[in-house]
Amino acid sequence: MKYFLYWGCSLEASGANYLKSLKPVCELLGMEFEEIDDWNCCGASVSYAGARDLSIRVLNARNLALAEMQGGYDIIAPCSSCYIQLIRTNHELREDEKLKEKVNSILREAGLTYNGTVNVRHIVDVLYNDVGIDRIKQKVTRPLSGLKVAGYVGCQSVRPYGEYDSKERPRVQDEILKALGAEPVKFPKKMQCCGSGIFLPEMELCMGLVKDILEDAIAHEAKIVSTVCPMCAMNLELYQGRINQLYNTNIQIPIVYLTQLMAVAFGLDLKEGAFLHMNYIPPEYVIKPILMQGGDSK
Amino acid sequence: MEKKMGVYICTGCGIGDAIDIEPIKDLVDEEFNISICKEHPFLCSPEGVELIKQDIDNEGVNTIIICACSPRVNQDVFFFGPDKIVERVNLREHVAWSQEPKDEDTQMLAEDYVRMGCSKAKDMELPEPFKAEQEYSKDILVVGGGLAGMTAALEVAKAGYKAIIVEKEDSLGGFLKKMKKRVAPPYEDLYDTGLEELVKQVNDNPNIKVYTSAVVEKTSGAPGLFSVQIKTNGSVAEEKVGAIIQATGWVPYDPKRLESLGYGKFKDVITNVELEQMASNGGIKRPSDGQSPKNVLFIQCAGQRDSEHLPYCSSVCCLVTLKQAAYIKEQDPEAVCYVLFKDMRTVGQAEEFYKKSQLAGNIFIRGTITQIGEEGGKLFIEAEDEFLGEKIRLEELDLVVLATGMVPSSQPEETPKMKAPEGAEDADEEGMIEVPPDSGFYAKPALNLEYRQGPELPTLRYGFPDSHFICFPYETRRTGIYTAGCIRRPMETARVIDDATGAAMKAIQCVEMTEKGMAVHPRSGDLSYPEVNLQRCTQCKRCTEECPFGAINEDEKANPLFNPTRCRRCGTCMGACPERVISFKNYSVVMIGNMINVINVPEEEEEKPRILVFVCENDAYPAIDMAGIKRYKWSPYVRFIPLRCLGSLNLVWIADALSRGIDGILLLGCRHGDDYQCHFIKGSELATVRLSKISETLERLALESERVRFEEVGISDYWRIPQIIEDFMNTIEEVGPNPYKGF
Amino acid sequence: MISWNNNALRDVLKEVDYAEEIYKCIQCGMCAGSCPLRHHMDYPPRKIFALLRTGNIDLVLNSKSIFLCTSCYSCIVRCPRGIHVMDIMHGLAHYAIKMGKISRKNTATFGQEFWKQIYKRGRVDEKDLSRRYFFSDGIVQGIKNALSMADMGIIMLLHGRMKLLPEKPIKGIKQLRIMLDKAEQESRR
Repeated sequence: MKYFLYWGCSLEASGANYLKSLKPVCELLGMEFEEIDDWNCCGASVSYAGARDLSIRVLNARNLALAEMQGGYDIIAPCSSCYIQLIRTNHELREDEKLKEKVNSILREAGLTYNGTVNVRHIVDVLYNDVGIDRIKQKVTRPLSGLKVAGYVGCQSVRPYGEYDSKERPRVQDEILKALGAEPVKFPKKMQCCGSGIFLPEMELCMGLVKDILEDAIAHEAKIVSTVCPMCAMNLELYQGRINQLYNTNIQIPIVYLTQLMAVAFGLDLKEGAFLHMNYIPPEYVIKPILMQGGDSK
Repeated sequence: MEKKMGVYICTGCGIGDAIDIEPIKDLVDEEFNISICKEHPFLCSPEGVELIKQDIDNEGVNTIIICACSPRVNQDVFFFGPDKIVERVNLREHVAWSQEPKDEDTQMLAEDYVRMGCSKAKDMELPEPFKAEQEYSKDILVVGGGLAGMTAALEVAKAGYKAIIVEKEDSLGGFLKKMKKRVAPPYEDLYDTGLEELVKQVNDNPNIKVYTSAVVEKTSGAPGLFSVQIKTNGSVAEEKVGAIIQATGWVPYDPKRLESLGYGKFKDVITNVELEQMASNGGIKRPSDGQSPKNVLFIQCAGQRDSEHLPYCSSVCCLVTLKQAAYIKEQDPEAVCYVLFKDMRTVGQAEEFYKKSQLAGNIFIRGTITQIGEEGGKLFIEAEDEFLGEKIRLEELDLVVLATGMVPSSQPEETPKMKAPEGAEDADEEGMIEVPPDSGFYAKPALNLEYRQGPELPTLRYGFPDSHFICFPYETRRTGIYTAGCIRRPMETARVIDDATGAAMKAIQCVEMTEKGMAVHPRSGDLSYPEVNLQRCTQCKRCTEECPFGAINEDEKANPLFNPTRCRRCGTCMGACPERVISFKNYSVVMIGNMINVINVPEEEEEKPRILVFVCENDAYPAIDMAGIKRYKWSPYVRFIPLRCLGSLNLVWIADALSRGIDGILLLGCRHGDDYQCHFIKGSELATVRLSKISETLERLALESERVRFEEVGISDYWRIPQIIEDFMNTIEEVGPNPYKGF
Repeated sequence: MISWNNNALRDVLKEVDYAEEIYKCIQCGMCAGSCPLRHHMDYPPRKIFALLRTGNIDLVLNSKSIFLCTSCYSCIVRCPRGIHVMDIMHGLAHYAIKMGKISRKNTATFGQEFWKQIYKRGRVDEKDLSRRYFFSDGIVQGIKNALSMADMGIIMLLHGRMKLLPEKPIKGIKQLRIMLDKAEQESRR
């Protein structure tokens, strides 16, 4: 199975542990990746301050056109922001012939054109639908038995299209967690936004959102939060200390990427495979005791 | 008919596990002298049915008593031809599924039900269909030649029947003549009214006869036998018809009463009806200066949903405003329409047209107008905007359109009065009182029926003819007379067409059923009809007054004149009659009385009270079945007797039961009042009225009034059944046993 | 007392993507009910639309609500009329910045800097982005800002989640800029 992996800007920096854990996990599952040559940023959530909608569509259409030209494999976007911008552009270009013409007339300035043949996929979509739960189960050598995980979905991976999961009651990430042997908990704030792209400039307001999400997860007995978006991960993880200061709370819960948990369950090295040491709040304290139960203390 | 009875007991569905069959077989033989009594583990199976059929063929059985499931199920399975009497004893829902198995009380209950069934079957006769002496007509009269009337007539004609339209104006069309366009499914655009084409179709149809400039002067007779006098151009024509559709439409609410909204005060405040007429007659202009308007405000619910004016929603004005806003945009694309509304009610797909209107740039404001005035020849208004939570002011308005509502043509301008009965408290100085809306003397003339209960259709509220809105539309309180279109309720043209079609189908059903001697809704197909022994009649007029359908006329000596084709077979007359001279072949005072008499009433010492429950067949009985299906449990001391309608409840049954030692009597009937659910409209209400008069009987017997209770039970109230029974049992326990036991 | 001015909306309809959809709004408030930051808004989205329809543009452009969108798509998913609520809020913020009405300076600056990064390099360098964002008010405030966030930077650095080398522009940056310029022109038509 060959895909383009469009990891985007964040996964090179703040979301590095996502990309690093994703690669060995997917390799183990038989996936092959190629990079879209000379890809550009998707525009993420906040570009609107400087650009109109059409500019952002063009930005993404360039990536789609490059992918189409370079082999046309499905594009996997592990970052939810990248995913939503790419898939939205793809949807709109496929559905609106006029827009497609307009965008192509602009792409032509760079000798590019996009015919609408490439599919955009979220990594969770591919794991669930292409790889499949059975195959994931087969690869589990260290089941995460008894690990209560809050599978946080956030916003942009299922909204607005609900391409591979319900827009209001998603369950796919939880299914994958179950396949790993973990116990996904139910918590109502699963879908509440963490503040996304405006967290930094609106920190005070957005810390309230994160506090609500984490308190909800903890109240429902989660010991760890799993995410599939670098922005969710950063917002939920990096500011816990500040939140505790501001609200006089005592929140401390590790935030990991789903792929990191998969790496652990697949028996990869906690450091060189799961890259747990790159997390700010050490997840090892929660994960190691679970592995000890299974007689594995690596 | 010489009866040969056979009793067939099913032991399936848990019945065999709950009761012993042998004692039942014994009592059938000993008490009722019925020699054929058989059991089968699966009576509704082909083998079970075959068992019965063999007895019919070989033993000559013609009266079959099925002791099995509820009579509401398997009716087709246990049908053995029109010449056989079938009685069903409900041992499943009412015994096996709701009682303790193999219990002494359960056994007694089952035995009583079998006794009651045998007794009933013994008293039942095969109904013979009514056939009038005169020839039946299958033609259908349509009063009103608007969209509803023409549609109904065309539908009637298309089905191969003859229709006669009576239109009061000099041409067909009704309100459609005033309309420029109509909005209709799929609600994407405005469409032509289609008036010309429709009129042409009507005029070209050989099955349709049209009277214009005509009114119905007199309608006498009954379904199948109506004789209608039509006054037209000074002469009177007579037509024989089988059924009638009243489609007399609506009139606009009188805008003169809307001075607070500027009508009559400012020239440029007009109604939606006036705007429509302007639009279809050459264009929309400001009445003050004849200019084409640039800024138009529509005020929704003008004189509607307002206790001072029309309390109801006319349901079409929102759509009409959207349509008229489109006229204005069409006339001048630069014009701006504002719509000030309480709620935009664009039902179903009509929402699409709302969206379209919004996208056309029309501005929708939810709020309440506080002021309207004129400034420099233009109008302005102030209002409370609910969306903004602020006061707003709209200025430079060229035209203000009031979306006024629909009043049924049956609503009189002033409430008519009639001579007050003696001692009436609310009578005026001249001894007159207002006619209540549910009287046949209330509505404005349209049919001029020669009915003892009045010349027009009784109304319920706001002047709309009474019919059950959801359960039986088109029906009225006069059998064979159906309403269609805006006389029935305010509705848009697309609904009118549906409605007229529905009423046409009802009218056709009526003429066909009448010819076969069958009842129409809700006892469709019933062949029985009330028969009266006039020799013993005391001319008390109770039956002629109480019949919910005005089926009974009176002669000059106040003898009741029954019109069987007007009858719905509810038995209200039978319940009303103090002399008990009215009966049906298969339903009579004696029959129910005998069922009560066969109930085994144990001695007081046995401490087994007996409660009789008269159950309305239409809603309460299925509710009890449902409770049984849900395996709810209730007291084994109750005995259910289904009645066609609680209106047929005769007080003599209560007196008989109490004097036999039955401890309490519970009536389960439909909700009554303005939101009635009674299938016969007045039946359950009449039962409660009669019950209020029972105290006399109870006093005479020196019994407590708590022994008789009425409870309203809807079809969805199955969950309340055990509680209702338990509460009543507790009351009876407090009151103590009936002292007449053993007498 | 609010008066109506129908002409005032013309520019908004031209400058704000999807703005024509505000007419479809039935004011049900589902957008507000779904918005994570609704409690911090002066006007909920539905009221922004209601105000726009009255033509009171300044009230809208000065509102902080238009800058508080987290782009979570909840309003878009749930709007019964299929209005691109989120995109209209984005468009209004864009237009407000253009008109010099910036009720949330931090967010406006952050967003603009983000776009500048894309325009300059074709990709975003998180480190450079935050530096520029912090120093947007001059060097003194910048040092203060950066110091207030220094703890975060150190944490990120220590965990290997900050790129040390500056991001280089993509190969096709020149052509990308030409395209983006053209897109911006096309948008105004």
